[in-house]
Amino acid sequence: MATRLQFENSCEVGVFSKLTNAYCLVAIGGSENFYSAYEAELADVIPVVKTSIGGTRIIGRLCAGNKNGLLLPHTTTDQELQHLRNSLPDRVVVQRIEEKLSALGNCIACNDHVALTHPDLDRETEQLIADVLGVEVFRQTIAGNILVGSYCAFSNRGGLVHPHTSIEDQDELSTLLQVPLVAGTVNRGSEVIAAGMTVNDWTAFCGSDTTATELSVVESVFKLREAQPSTIVDEMRKSLIDSYV
Amino acid sequence: MGQRRPAKRRRLSRTPSLLLSFSPFSRFLLFAHSSSVPKSGSPDPSPSSKSTVDGIADPKPPKAIKRMESSEDEEEKQEKIEMVQADFEFFDPKPGDFNGVKLLLQSYLDKKPWDLSGFVDLILEQTTVGTIVKSASQDGEEEGDDDGGDDDESLFAVISALNLGRYAGHGCIKELKRFLLEVCSDESTKTKLKLLLEQQASDVGLLVSQRFVNCPYQLVPPLYDALFDEVSWATEDELFCFLKPTQELRDSFRLKYYMLLTRILENKNVNQRKAKQSQDYEEPFIYIKAEDEIFRELSLLSFTFRLHAEQLISHELKNYREMGLVMVVKADDISKFREKLKSLLAKS
Repeated sequence: MATRLQFENSCEVGVFSKLTNAYCLVAIGGSENFYSAYEAELADVIPVVKTSIGGTRIIGRLCAGNKNGLLLPHTTTDQELQHLRNSLPDRVVVQRIEEKLSALGNCIACNDHVALTHPDLDRETEQLIADVLGVEVFRQTIAGNILVGSYCAFSNRGGLVHPHTSIEDQDELSTLLQVPLVAGTVNRGSEVIAAGMTVNDWTAFCGSDTTATELSVVESVFKLREAQPSTIVDEMRKSLIDSYV
Repeated sequence: MGQRRPAKRRRLSRTPSLLLSFSPFSRFLLFAHSSSVPKSGSPDPSPSSKSTVDGIADPKPPKAIKRMESSEDEEEKQEKIEMVQADFEFFDPKPGDFNGVKLLLQSYLDKKPWDLSGFVDLILEQTTVGTIVKSASQDGEEEGDDDGGDDDESLFAVISALNLGRYAGHGCIKELKRFLLEVCSDESTKTKLKLLLEQQASDVGLLVSQRFVNCPYQLVPPLYDALFDEVSWATEDELFCFLKPTQELRDSFRLKYYMLLTRILENKNVNQRKAKQSQDYEEPFIYIKAEDEIFRELSLLSFTFRLHAEQLISHELKNYREMGLVMVVKADDISKFREKLKSLLAKS
């Protein structure tokens, strides 16, 4: 089920949180409402950890992770690193990496099997991603944007990409990622998908400006409602942006 | 291109004074800037003097040589600064501007969570009164299928006036009124404010004006002119309505008061201004938007309140704290405001 919420009047919930199948990170300093929305959905299933990265609250855009591991930028302090290592399950490998593109969340989009990265990422970083996260890494762009981590969000069951992604690019990405993809928006037409929402295999959190249509697209493509695949084609066709000419 | 370069450099030294010369804040910036600008007259003599130093063993005192070299360096730094031509266009509000306007009004009510989206919707629905400033796209050829500005990402400023009585039923306006009454600390001001917000709400217009900090000041007088002109035109011909009688809407723009909610910088060390040299004299208030100073002079009532959100203050302004400012100005004083605003810009 998809939930709508806000972080201190901002609808960019994907900036202030990071959701995976094994854990959830939430920024400190927000109201208790924000934290409790996550707790309500996830408390019994996965740990919800309050943290900062490098003293900032934009944790969703600075780190990249999945159920196998979590990658942190070099700006992460030792205390934060230790806190995360203590709070997360033991099988999640927490690693701080030296990469000049330090907003890892903007540069890397991943699920538990595949990762898409910024074309200019270091070779060593690419290797680390493959080792720590246990994924296959592809250097890609999305609708001509190099910040793949910002303009798409995908889980093991589906993905949402920038609305201007052409149909050929969508097919190519879909083949690489092995999940169905849909081009769409969140937060009333915002193209920065991953900043406006965060998702895992059974739940999603979107900004409160997300319209009902956008929310139903999210629920369908990520299969959060146990919907039939044909529902997308039959009922949802008009609200999906298939191609941008 | 090469011929135009010297002209650019001369313009550069003049333009800052054109833009920044009125509010104390801008005056401060001007002093900070001018300390790094080389003395006028140095661009021309220095190339020739440099060649004398290079070629001939000239018995010039070492100090003079050093001075020329440093002005050369600063000149090189200046060469890297480019002049950018920017055209700004004024549009009526439309629904597509939602994300841009929301970004500008993000901190309107400090940190309090409120229905900001609803508030932005009210501004955008009122197409007859209100203006949005966007930068014109660089390539004229691509304007073919533009319906008045494509990207709302390039939205620079918004201005509008919302009648508090007309929109009194909306949740965002109720939250806004509650917020204003909460932050008012002085009891007598609070009673006056309460009167304005409740009994006299249909005579009060909330003047919402927000822009990016680096907007050139030349935009501001036309922006306010546009707003006040639109308000007076709306009293004459409010054609735009299918639901309510037109006369009601016309009357909703016959405003007697304007209320403003804005930000200023207040000097933290109010008591320690003795024995300081004139250079160190710090203004008690710095107005982030220069026109706020004029509004405050003309205001019927005004009060400041402390903010709870994170403060981002630059090092030069470390003695200042950002405060919220609420002002109420009589609609009759607006013509005085417009004159003063024009003369402020004309002074430079």
